[in-house]
Amino acid sequence: MKKEDSAPTLAARRAFLAKLGGAATCAGAALGAATLGVVPRAAAKPEVTPDAASFPTKDYDWTKHQWGFGVDATKCIGCLRCVEACKRENDVPANAHQFRTWVERYVHVEGDAQVHIDSQQDPVNIEASGSEKTFRFANRYKDAKVDKAFFVPKLCNHCTHPACVQVCPTGATYRTKDGVVLIDETYCIGCRYCVQACPYGARYFNEEKGVADKCTWCYHRITKGLQPACVEVCPVGARMFGDQNDKQSRISLFIRNSRVQVLRPESGNAPNVFYVGIDKEVN
Amino acid sequence: MPKHIVRLITLLVTLLAVAAIAKPFLTVDSFYRFGHYRADSVTEIADKELVYQTPRYCHGCHTERRAQWSAGSHKTVICEVCHGPAQGHPQNGKLAIPTDTVKLCTLCHEAMPGRPATQPQIQVAQHSGGQQCNVCHNPHSPKISTAAAKVTGNAAAGKDSAAACSGCHGADGNSPNDTWPNLAGQNAAYLARILAAYKSGDQNDAAMTPLAQALSDTEIQNLAAYYAGLNCKASTGGKPVGDAAAGEALAANCVACHGPAGRGSNPAWPKLAAQKPGYLVNVLKAFKAGLRKDPMMAGAAKSLSDTDIANLAAYYAAQSCQSTK
Repeated sequence: MKKEDSAPTLAARRAFLAKLGGAATCAGAALGAATLGVVPRAAAKPEVTPDAASFPTKDYDWTKHQWGFGVDATKCIGCLRCVEACKRENDVPANAHQFRTWVERYVHVEGDAQVHIDSQQDPVNIEASGSEKTFRFANRYKDAKVDKAFFVPKLCNHCTHPACVQVCPTGATYRTKDGVVLIDETYCIGCRYCVQACPYGARYFNEEKGVADKCTWCYHRITKGLQPACVEVCPVGARMFGDQNDKQSRISLFIRNSRVQVLRPESGNAPNVFYVGIDKEVN
Repeated sequence: MPKHIVRLITLLVTLLAVAAIAKPFLTVDSFYRFGHYRADSVTEIADKELVYQTPRYCHGCHTERRAQWSAGSHKTVICEVCHGPAQGHPQNGKLAIPTDTVKLCTLCHEAMPGRPATQPQIQVAQHSGGQQCNVCHNPHSPKISTAAAKVTGNAAAGKDSAAACSGCHGADGNSPNDTWPNLAGQNAAYLARILAAYKSGDQNDAAMTPLAQALSDTEIQNLAAYYAGLNCKASTGGKPVGDAAAGEALAANCVACHGPAGRGSNPAWPKLAAQKPGYLVNVLKAFKAGLRKDPMMAGAAKSLSDTDIANLAAYYAAQSCQSTK
């Protein structure tokens, strides 16, 4: 009795599938018919592009630029004004562990084969600054016999072949036509694949917003004809920014006239941040 | 082909068709416009507001500061580095004026391995005796010009010209009067600089200006050399009104330039030891009131009360001008 109740007969099953198939076909046909009126709109999408002459804003055309960034580590004094400016300009969480840009210190102490590397998030440096919201390098090597020491500002390399963009499952991160890698916060699902994929550790996860975040070369500034905030505040000109399309721009001259190098060239990402004055320990 | 396979294929094709038709409805318009991302997000990011406004914004109103800043060695340090981002200023209030200048300035100027040699750096513990940087340095134009011009005058020739000075400054350069300064043993470069300032009109005094204008540049050099070579004497003026002990505490702020006990060795700046107290009081008040112009002294005298000034004068007047070594 029970068995007969629960087991549908072959005929009933066929009838059900037939109905389902019919329903699907009808739905498909209905949708198709409905789309006919709309499909032209979808097809016309590229035709909206004529105003791309001034995309993304009316005063700025991204096809006319190819941005690049230069770092002269021989000039950097490790004052960390860039880090502070970046935090405030870009609303980066006010703590000592999440950064869009940071500065590393490399110290070779006499008789010690190991290079000493620290950045502003080292506990000793946090203590010297007195708070997690201000930044300062502690003078911890003042009594050491230092063979060589230098500071290296770091930031997103805005690679030509960015690994982070390749792994993003939602199209939330992409490379613009003017050579800047950006994040669309409304499309980021917070999976952090990109944080893992970046060979430079340039991305961090912003818990407040639930999205990955990183340097944009201050896209809102450069599209208004200004310099990124870190370049603007650098008191010694260790950071420089400009258009690689303009052969006389500061960045073009820097790349052309100095022996520049990029970080981890072997990764194949083709970075667009060019360094001078760093040694083999920096990567 | 078996019926059930046909049905499965039909079902799959139908579902794919539904998906393909639904996709344009579910995809934001600007997605795929340039690639696999939402083109509108580029505009959204580009439209963000500025936080740091750049010096041009500041200079719209602060023209006086601009003139000072752009002529000085801090012209590569933009306003917002020290004062914070100017977004919302002036509508939402003033920007901070840093109070702990030692903490601020040492961010860049503390001697530290790794800083390039071209960066001016100080040993914090030995530099200022704990006083704030802006007592001596103007933060908008911090360089103190210590380059004292070399005095090449002939002291013997200076002695002849000095006859005209002896009425006020004493035959041996030690003034008989409390309000006129002793000149004997003073730094030659300082004497030459001040005389030249009277001559050019950079500094004014009813008595000194016409006298200095009558001097040639050579005579100024000779006079400076002559007075610098004389022996100073302990101050013999009336008892100063100030409290020398209280003045000694204040004088800690003066040591960097005027030396311990006012016997400074830097020729650009005057020695103060055994100077006439009345003269010292007048000069400090003149700096405070802006009658005598010197950016460093204006900053130093600004915060001194009349009592402080009297105490400082008493302290320096009581010091021996002869090196104790």
